[in-house]
Amino acid sequence: MDQKFEGTPKAALRLEGRKVIRGDVENNWGSRLQWKVSRDGKELATVGAGIESAFEHADATPGKYEVVLQMFKYVSYAKDKDGKFTASLYVDISTPVAYTI
Amino acid sequence: MLHIGNTHVPLCDGVSRRSFLQAGSAATLGLSLPLLDTLRAAGAIDESKAKIKNCITIFLVGSPGHLDTWDMKPDAPENIRGKFKPMKTNVPGVQICEHFPRMAKMMDKVALIRSLHHKTGASHENGQRWMMSGHDYSEANKQPYMGSVISRVFGPKGALPTSIILPVKIGNTGTSTPHGQESAFLGSGHEPFFLGGDPALSTFKVANLEPPAGQTEFRVEARRKLLKEIDDLQRRVESSSTIERDTAYARAFNLLTNPETKQAFDLTKEPEKMRDRYGRNTLGQSCLMARRLIERGSRFVTVNHFDTVFGISCWDMHADGGSLNNTYADYEHLLMPQFDLAYTALIEDLEQRGLLKETVVAVLSEFGRTPSINGRGGRDHYPSAWTNFLAGGNIRGGQVIGSTDKNGAAPHDNPIEPPRIVASIYQGMGIDLETTMMPGPGGRPVRFIEGEPIRELF
Repeated sequence: MDQKFEGTPKAALRLEGRKVIRGDVENNWGSRLQWKVSRDGKELATVGAGIESAFEHADATPGKYEVVLQMFKYVSYAKDKDGKFTASLYVDISTPVAYTI
Repeated sequence: MLHIGNTHVPLCDGVSRRSFLQAGSAATLGLSLPLLDTLRAAGAIDESKAKIKNCITIFLVGSPGHLDTWDMKPDAPENIRGKFKPMKTNVPGVQICEHFPRMAKMMDKVALIRSLHHKTGASHENGQRWMMSGHDYSEANKQPYMGSVISRVFGPKGALPTSIILPVKIGNTGTSTPHGQESAFLGSGHEPFFLGGDPALSTFKVANLEPPAGQTEFRVEARRKLLKEIDDLQRRVESSSTIERDTAYARAFNLLTNPETKQAFDLTKEPEKMRDRYGRNTLGQSCLMARRLIERGSRFVTVNHFDTVFGISCWDMHADGGSLNNTYADYEHLLMPQFDLAYTALIEDLEQRGLLKETVVAVLSEFGRTPSINGRGGRDHYPSAWTNFLAGGNIRGGQVIGSTDKNGAAPHDNPIEPPRIVASIYQGMGIDLETTMMPGPGGRPVRFIEGEPIRELF
């Protein structure tokens, strides 16, 4: 029996300076959470969110930063020859927050 | 004479035909009724001294690699230590995998057993039989599942079955041999109740509680009365199968018609935040249901994390490129976070409700995984060493029992075999394993388990 995940997880984010703080995840699928950081529209990094509610990206290069919380969405175990999931993927579960340096 | 506990049970030597039939009937009835009164009277069980009243086992079908989870070897060569890093826990000197951050904060409640091993073949089913029954056995010599034994000894506390398995029974894990989750010679009256559905789905209904299509509960009740009349006739025949079937029918009808049992299985009664805390997935919602069932009178609940190892993301990380293509990616992104959330939610929830002190939670698996990573980046079956753990009841948490050698290839000290875990649970629940026996095949007395409880656990 493969696992099924219903509904859409979501979490609220707020900014305190450059620090991003997340609320509890509603409809939590229980899979891995990560922060996706972009600068001037280009993805810069993904960082495991762990169990901490606050995150501050270390990079201080000038630009417009956007941070969003993502969760792994399991669709199937299928992977390509390099071991990457072909159907399962990370999806945004918050609206992004942005700040400028 | 047979001796069950300290009680002498008469057999048919020197009895009249009439009394033989009565004795036969009583013995047959005894196949289904709990032994509790007999054992209590014989002094072989003392519930007042039992620290564990309930047990929840989470069975990690497929089996996680011990070196990637709860017995990490950060100083071993790269092809042995694997990809993940250890993290500190709230118990000084005890480290577990970085992907169990919540569990790391409650290691003071957990007793890790790092020297488990068994000496039979490396099939999933061998490990399942060992860990679910405490025995290795063949189709011809089946041994009962732990929950069936608890059902046989203690019987039900209320309307709910004594022993329940969630969400579904184990299916294809490679060979067509038993999985260790059956009542065997204890009879159908002590079969575990299988939920038969996925509690994470919004469309979830307990398959085994639904009246057959086209039948209302009124019709079911009417059929119960009719069947009772037929059974009264059949009972005169005094066949064991009749009595056994009576119990199974009674149990099924009770479940179908009792509002309390239906409530116990209804997760919509739980706050949304609680359902989120466990994780909105099959494992998480099964663990939440396990707590509801224990709270409402079940004594022994097993949560099977997966019913197969083929074609799904599960712990069986062979990385074979085919239907067994689980890898570190499955562990990191899905399985470990899911387990960490569900397990810690269950422990916290039981504790907050005052149930943890009387409920042991045992996380069990079939075997470990090979110390050396295979050529495809996975690990294969390895029954020579692995880690399982217990918490709750009178288990002394914050300790590690046994250890493996520097590469996790074999027990280094205090080697422990599966029957000792089962013996520990039985003893914790108040069964005196030294003096007590239970009726085995053909009614002859058999020992509950061939193994000593693990003294260090308590």
